[in-house]
Amino acid sequence: MSRRERGEKKTTYFDYNLLFIIIFLLCFGLVMLFSTSSYTSANKYGDSAHYLKLQLRNIAVGLIPMYLFAKIDYHFWKKFGLFAYIASILLCVMVMLPIPFLVRSSHGKARWLNLGPLSFQPSELAKLAVIIFLAMLLERILKQLDQFRNVIKVMLMLIPLFVVVAVNNLSTAVIIFAIAGCMLFVASRKVWPFVGIAGAGVGLIAVFTFCVGYRSTRVDAWLHPETAGDAGLQPLMGLYAIGSGKIFGKGLGQSLQKLGNVPEAQNDMIFSIICEELGLFGAVCVILLYVLLLWRMMVIANNAKDLYGALLVSGIMSHMAIQVILNIAVVTNTIPNTGVTLPFISYGGTSLVFLMAEMGLALSVSRGIHLDSIR
Amino acid sequence: MKRRKKKKPVQKFRGYMRTKLMALFLILSAALCFLIGRITWIEHKNGAAYEKKVLSMQSYDSKTIPYQRGDIVDRSGTVLATSVAVYNVILDCTVVNDKEEYLEPTLQALTSCFPELKESEIRDIIRTKKDSRYVVLAKKVPYEEVQPFIELQDKVDKKGVKVNPDIKGVWFEKEYQREYPYNSLAASVIGFTSAGNVGTTGLENYYNSTLNGVNGREYGYLDSDSDFEKTVIAARDGDTIVTSIDVNIQSIVEKKIEEFNKKYKDNYFKDDGSVNTSVIVMNPNNGEILAMADYPFFDLNNPRDLTGIYSESQIEKMSDDDKMNALNELWQNFCVTATYEPGSVQKPFTVAAGLDTGTINDKMTFVCDGGEQFDRWVRCVNKNGHGVETVRKTLMDSCNDAIMQMTYKIGKKNFSTYQANFGFGQKTGIDLPGEPNTSSLIYKEEDMKPVDLATNAFGQNYNCTMIQMASAFSSLINGGTYYQPHVVTRVTDASGNTISTVEPKAVKQTVSQSTSDQIRDYLYSVVSEGTGGTAKVDGYSMGGKTGTAEKLPRKNHKYLVSFMGFAPYENPQLVIYCTVNEPNAKDEAHSYFAQNITREILKEVLPYMNIYPDEKKTGKNKGLDVTGENAQYTGKNDGTASRDGEKKKETE
Repeated sequence: MSRRERGEKKTTYFDYNLLFIIIFLLCFGLVMLFSTSSYTSANKYGDSAHYLKLQLRNIAVGLIPMYLFAKIDYHFWKKFGLFAYIASILLCVMVMLPIPFLVRSSHGKARWLNLGPLSFQPSELAKLAVIIFLAMLLERILKQLDQFRNVIKVMLMLIPLFVVVAVNNLSTAVIIFAIAGCMLFVASRKVWPFVGIAGAGVGLIAVFTFCVGYRSTRVDAWLHPETAGDAGLQPLMGLYAIGSGKIFGKGLGQSLQKLGNVPEAQNDMIFSIICEELGLFGAVCVILLYVLLLWRMMVIANNAKDLYGALLVSGIMSHMAIQVILNIAVVTNTIPNTGVTLPFISYGGTSLVFLMAEMGLALSVSRGIHLDSIR
Repeated sequence: MKRRKKKKPVQKFRGYMRTKLMALFLILSAALCFLIGRITWIEHKNGAAYEKKVLSMQSYDSKTIPYQRGDIVDRSGTVLATSVAVYNVILDCTVVNDKEEYLEPTLQALTSCFPELKESEIRDIIRTKKDSRYVVLAKKVPYEEVQPFIELQDKVDKKGVKVNPDIKGVWFEKEYQREYPYNSLAASVIGFTSAGNVGTTGLENYYNSTLNGVNGREYGYLDSDSDFEKTVIAARDGDTIVTSIDVNIQSIVEKKIEEFNKKYKDNYFKDDGSVNTSVIVMNPNNGEILAMADYPFFDLNNPRDLTGIYSESQIEKMSDDDKMNALNELWQNFCVTATYEPGSVQKPFTVAAGLDTGTINDKMTFVCDGGEQFDRWVRCVNKNGHGVETVRKTLMDSCNDAIMQMTYKIGKKNFSTYQANFGFGQKTGIDLPGEPNTSSLIYKEEDMKPVDLATNAFGQNYNCTMIQMASAFSSLINGGTYYQPHVVTRVTDASGNTISTVEPKAVKQTVSQSTSDQIRDYLYSVVSEGTGGTAKVDGYSMGGKTGTAEKLPRKNHKYLVSFMGFAPYENPQLVIYCTVNEPNAKDEAHSYFAQNITREILKEVLPYMNIYPDEKKTGKNKGLDVTGENAQYTGKNDGTASRDGEKKKETE
């Protein structure tokens, strides 16, 4: 590795832009989280900073993997690609089993695995595992990907994971599939088959959405939130929040909808409160921030030292983009409620920690860039 | 890139990949832009409507801060009615259910601090109403019970850590409860409140708006920028009214009334001592009411309790309407609201009208032959006639015949003018509710036939109220100044500053000073030597007039007997008017029922008021009690008492 060391000595690079955007989003997220949750958490826990404190803990925990991933050469993870993929399948299976003390359920679904003081959702791990696994795999079989049936084969390889994740959390499974699709799209020379597959995928999801039992009330709530009763409450209240924000919003901390109207506003619906308090202007700024984040990752991928790094960052970028899009689409009632969090801003432990780990990975890739090769 | 050839072939990110990555980035960005468009569309299309929806959903967390109703105090500041803070215990089940560890400590704290709460019941409530945020566990709990709970909840150890952090979800709602420390004292004057702060009877009713304050409010509102502002407007407590009532005089009066009614209970009928026994004590020199009592009494703290007057079985038989009627009768203030024929207490007014107009003078004499003939025979008390009567003796004997003859001289015009002057047929304007309009209960001059004039002159065939009579009598003996009777003398704010005072209101001059002096002199004779002797308090110069009015229908021989007096003779400091409505006795037609009560009251009130005996004691009425029976000696009432009984029987 003497060459690399030499190279780094000459022109070390680190994407501070990306790091800054991440830190900015995290801080902004904390502010919005406190604004959103202070009233309800004061009511419920007698402590207006209840969620803020927990989220600070989550960020503190998340900084550790982020730092480690940024520090450790990303090639190190290549060896674990297949292992991570299999391990995440096993964990997802495990979470379905009724193991006392180890499995915790939330909202009627078993999604959590208890590990000592921390508990986490294996499905979040699965996203990261898929990115690492596919980057490793695609680099190896790049040539074969020019034939589309091989692309299909890769997709089929993901079916076991997709199934075990989908049992508990369809939206995460869809995200995993979408990430894989995006990575394959970038790696393969083919274009139109992907477009066809994407169209078919959306159609499949639509069919699935309309057929699976418990989701059909969500569909009803999506189509007619005013008349869907309790199920329509969350999307409707989110819409009210967005609509009442106007151009510049009511001002930070001035939301009325967070005062118990939008259920669990600090989770998936936090963007609606951002719209209400900061208005269209604030919402656009937040979205632009995400676009900036994506752009930085695109730059990193474009200039990555090797294909493996580039594919890793492409996968991370797709993941980020898909979550943002799905979350905002839910909040604006563009699609039915799926329960996807808004990266860095929504309250949540596991997703934040894994997202920060992914960011660390992207930063690690950025460290491998030679300045003279940036284009 | 190509320059940096590596030994080991490293897969590179190729050109087409960059293009596709760029395409992916653009697609994703486009999706985000689409969502921006979607947000814009939502705001543009539904913004205004949604904003209204949001505003309409706000409860603003508005909370009423109750005001404290003002007190009613007597002339020396003794509290007769006050509002005491009490607390409703509210349980927020969602909070208690939030964590399992909250349940037991909260339950324990509740049951230990509020003994009336049952653990199993609270457990039930917490289980069955788990989503309820507002369950009233106990109502109107005194502060003494709430305080230990709050202490328990806030208790901290040396380090400032809460000892009982798990007592959750209980809060208290402040409210005021009206309390009357003296229970039934001056009940019909003070009155009571119902449903919060609505004065139902008495002063509570008349001064309702003065006593009531304005509720405060803790609320949020949206300012012009749609910002949520939280504001607290403190409650303005009600004003306190200071009355002219003297608790001690009132107590004496009520004590004697009660004593009388106890003694006469089941005396002749199986019934109360009287239907009503009422006494007004007032200051003739400014119209202030010192005491106003009205039997039967009721407990202001429990005004709907009828057990004091009716037996359990009677109450059970009553319908709701019956009960309400009985209660209304109980609550009304006989002294102000009841109208009746006053009887012979009218005579001094008739004589005063004669003296003042000059149609009668002290030198005149009349011959009583037992009655006068109009379209019917109107007889005197003494069937055989009193013989020759001077004006003074007419009053002393309470002779109807002589009075009737005086009316021939006075004439109906003068009589009507003076009756109006004395305020009969008009409201006195006393600051108590329910004063009736008596204008239709007196004869107008043009409708007055000679027999009406003659009977009116001794107090029959027209109706008045006690307060009319007492106020008119005050003017008759104080030199002729008619003061509007009143109960409230001062209004102060919650912190005790005087807001307004009620000055004595001299409304008119009823008679001249000389007439007043003359009448006072006659009335002195009535008490010292005439029919009012039973009322005499030995050692005190007093004046007064008795009254024995036969109630309608005459054939029932039901009477309202009364005595109206003043003391001392020279400079009257108080006027007392006592009526006994249907005393429970075989022969009701004797004013000594009222006279005995009056005497017993004055015996205690005069010394209390620092009025010193101004006459030599003669031993008159010695040892008599409220029934007129001599506790020491047997039998014999004072002669005047047995001679009394100005039965004004009319042959119908």
